[in-house]
Amino acid sequence: MLLFRGPHWDRGLSRQELQAAMDEVMAWFEGLNQHGKIKTGQPLGTQGRIISGTNGHLVVDGPFAESKEAVGGYLLVQADNLNEASEIARSAPMLKYGITVEVRPVLAECPIFQRHPDLAQRARERAVQVDQLWAAAAA
Amino acid sequence: MSTTSTAKSGYLLLFRGNVWDRGLSPAQLQKVVSDWMTWFERLKAEGKCVGGHPLEDEGKVISGKQRAVADGPFAESKEAIGGYFYLTVADEKEAIEIAKQCPGLEYGSVVEVRPVADECSIKQRAQEYSTHELAGATA
Repeated sequence: MLLFRGPHWDRGLSRQELQAAMDEVMAWFEGLNQHGKIKTGQPLGTQGRIISGTNGHLVVDGPFAESKEAVGGYLLVQADNLNEASEIARSAPMLKYGITVEVRPVLAECPIFQRHPDLAQRARERAVQVDQLWAAAAA
Repeated sequence: MSTTSTAKSGYLLLFRGNVWDRGLSPAQLQKVVSDWMTWFERLKAEGKCVGGHPLEDEGKVISGKQRAVADGPFAESKEAIGGYFYLTVADEKEAIEIAKQCPGLEYGSVVEVRPVADECSIKQRAQEYSTHELAGATA
């Protein structure tokens, strides 16, 4: 997964520069797409909320509009390994306007679950039971 | 037949903090792992969660005109994104209600709720730019 951080890289660019940048970005997406490298991906709205605390009792507006670290969008790319994914990230034209790309392998299973395989196995069995209950309830 | 809108919107839940399992007792861990799987299965069964992945602790960060590649500080960070859910729900309120059910919250996990946009906000700004310029030219 590629996470694009810094959603305001367009600030300070002239109209011509912005048009050139947009053309480059579009061509980049299109090229990756034609090579079957994009599984999914979307820009994110700059509004949003941060939920924390027991039962999520703290709900605050996120500081996404002005933050350089905020995630502005993501791409789930098809790559054989972290190196290939990093190479795809390095080809992102937005880098020269100051964004940062975070490259993270997606997992079939949570690392917290992997650290406790016995617990995860029991939880999995219970989840299957819950799934069956839901299926039965829906039937 | 109901005339109320059934249009669904996309929201990304980003789970921040990937070391919240440290220091939990085996019983607490069993419960949270089990609750998390049950929660995910239920949301999938309800059609509210259409995708999601845990992310590996390792990863790369790419930045700058030189496109420098650095190892990410994801393993020990409270802010690092540990995984995500892709929700399709009626509105932000429903996305927030789901985020509040996250079993990791009482152990210090933080959930970021972000609307998924159809179009990049930078593209929208570029279009506004053109519109303003056109309006200026014809005024």
